[in-house]
Amino acid sequence: MSLIEVKDLEVHYPIRSGFWNRVTDEVLAVDGLSLNIEAGETYGLVGESGSGKSTTGKSIVGLEKPTRGQILYKGKDITKPRNRRELDYNQDVQMIFQDSLSSLNPRKRIEDIIAEPIRNFEHLDKNQEKLRVLQLLDIVGLDADALYKYPHQFSGGQRQRIGVARAVATNPKLIVADEPVSALDLSVQAQVLNFMKRIQRDFGISYLFISHDLGVVRHMCDNIAIMHRGRLVEIGTRDDIYNHPMHIYTKRLLSAIPETSVEGRAEARAHREAVEREFQENQSRYYDKDGKVLPLVDVTDTHKVALPADEIDKEDK
Amino acid sequence: MSQNQLDNQSSIDKADLEKLSKEAEQEAAPSSLRIVWNEFKADKVALTAAVIIVVFILFVMIASLFINQSQAMSTNIMDSYDKPFSQFILGTDQGGRSVAKELIMGSKNSIGIAIGLTVISSTFGIVFGLVSGYFGGIVDNIMMRFYDFMMMLPILLFIIVVVTIIPSYNAITLTLILSVFYWLGTARLIRARTMSESKKDYVSASKTSGTSTFKIIFREIMPNISSLIIVDTMLSFAENIGVETTLSFLGFGLPNGTPSLGTMISNANDPNNITQYWWTWLIAAIEIIILTISISYVGQVIRRASDASQRLSDD
Ligand SMILES: Nc1ncnc2c1ncn2[C@@H]1O[C@H](COP(=O)(O)OP(=O)(O)OP(=O)(O)O)[C@@H](O)[C@H]1O
Ligand SMILES: [Mg+2]
Repeated sequence: MSLIEVKDLEVHYPIRSGFWNRVTDEVLAVDGLSLNIEAGETYGLVGESGSGKSTTGKSIVGLEKPTRGQILYKGKDITKPRNRRELDYNQDVQMIFQDSLSSLNPRKRIEDIIAEPIRNFEHLDKNQEKLRVLQLLDIVGLDADALYKYPHQFSGGQRQRIGVARAVATNPKLIVADEPVSALDLSVQAQVLNFMKRIQRDFGISYLFISHDLGVVRHMCDNIAIMHRGRLVEIGTRDDIYNHPMHIYTKRLLSAIPETSVEGRAEARAHREAVEREFQENQSRYYDKDGKVLPLVDVTDTHKVALPADEIDKEDK
Repeated sequence: MSQNQLDNQSSIDKADLEKLSKEAEQEAAPSSLRIVWNEFKADKVALTAAVIIVVFILFVMIASLFINQSQAMSTNIMDSYDKPFSQFILGTDQGGRSVAKELIMGSKNSIGIAIGLTVISSTFGIVFGLVSGYFGGIVDNIMMRFYDFMMMLPILLFIIVVVTIIPSYNAITLTLILSVFYWLGTARLIRARTMSESKKDYVSASKTSGTSTFKIIFREIMPNISSLIIVDTMLSFAENIGVETTLSFLGFGLPNGTPSLGTMISNANDPNNITQYWWTWLIAAIEIIILTISISYVGQVIRRASDASQRLSDD
């Protein structure tokens, strides 16, 4: 059984307008999404800005109330607040937030920030608690000096580590990591990613790793889901996605990975333009008349793609 | 995370605990009291203002203990309109009452009412604003309809009617009556800030950390809008000194015979007093002006202290 099963998740936000401030329309931030996360794996969720990644992540940790659909953990639907309370759900499922600065209360010292989940979920005496916080700081590579400082006294990379320390404080089974490194420069990105991997190996945590960049995800994830307009366009293993991409949107994302070597650049540019042309030409076939992503179809055991009917026939031959 | 697992991963163990927390204390960020103090040191005008307020309030509270109110307020025609620095240090009014004693008793009453009114109405306004701003949705909708209803009442007229109907009232009942109306501005202000604050990720992080709603509102969000709360409370206090004095000036404040800054200023209703017997009202008016200005200076310093980017002091 999977650790977490998301079934047909939908999150709609009302749009209010007009004189009476009535609900006139809805944003379909997530519009029918299913995925399973296994224990111990890193699951990548990739898509462009506004595709609904954060909303999906927030629904999984219980911060967003889904309009429809289920999220099963230990056989219970945790979209219901009562079930979350019964399971002490957030002791097991934590989140690393996209914006590290705003996710740390500017009025609290680092000790109190990291100790917050420990105080709520476990009952330790003062010294045990402080020892735990010091060890967590040590694991994410920060000195004990950090204890009595405030968040604004740290750099972006250091703050992201504080966020990681808080997320792992209660030994969760799953951490939803919402673009944990997007705001950092390349060398710091590598550092943060490396210790996230180390923590995963040492403590057996699963990650739902959210990113808009397939380049970063390649080094982190075993399974990857590509998201567009609130729905999944392609799910597969790392090999499926990087070596056998089938959906035009996935191909477009892949071609957008920055080329680091100088010789490859011109070639990469030509390739990107070709892919973009293919995307524009075939868009009407791969999306329905409302611009919605088509239903997923099985290509292999691991690989599912939202393909139009004619492509499926080609596949079968 | 179980303790054993952590012990394996981290080189830190119990033996280091004391040493490390000592080290951390040396690196600790300055406490907020320290920051406020530094800020006062950097702004001498505000420091003077703070000293004036504290000394004045202490003086009034202590001195009033030694004055017998009914004796001070009894008329004595023989001493009518004595000039300052003659027999009485600040002169006397028409009834021959010592202006100095009246000023002390009046300040005590007026400031007492202003403090009481500020404490009650600001507390209510802050809680109202925090709750409606944090929950939003239906809760906010219902609370704001109540707010709109209160807003529609013509406050001054309403108070005058209530005060006229109630047969006997004193400083405490007057404070309570005023409190019913003077929380509105605070509530609106706090609600707006709470709404934007509640959207920040640290609130989400507290939710996933298992913190209760009550604690999130009062221990996480409230400290983050503390500068707004302090400044608003200071300004309300300055304004509330005005509320009582205005009412007493109009004759609807404290009952007759109770000295207050407002009744003293209303001496200026008499054209003779304005020009000839200025000490009967001018001193009280100047006192209010100085107090109000001083309070707003102190409020500014505290706001700067809580906002790192505006500080005048170096650290
Ligand atoms: N509270 C909200 N109210 C209304 N609309 C919202 C709200 N939150 C998100 N949305 C909308 O839902 C859509 C998905 O937002 P979401 O934050 O999940 O995107 P994302 O994939 O995380 O993007 P990014 O990469 O920029 O973080 C967007 O169109 C956004 O405008
Ligand atoms: Mg996002």
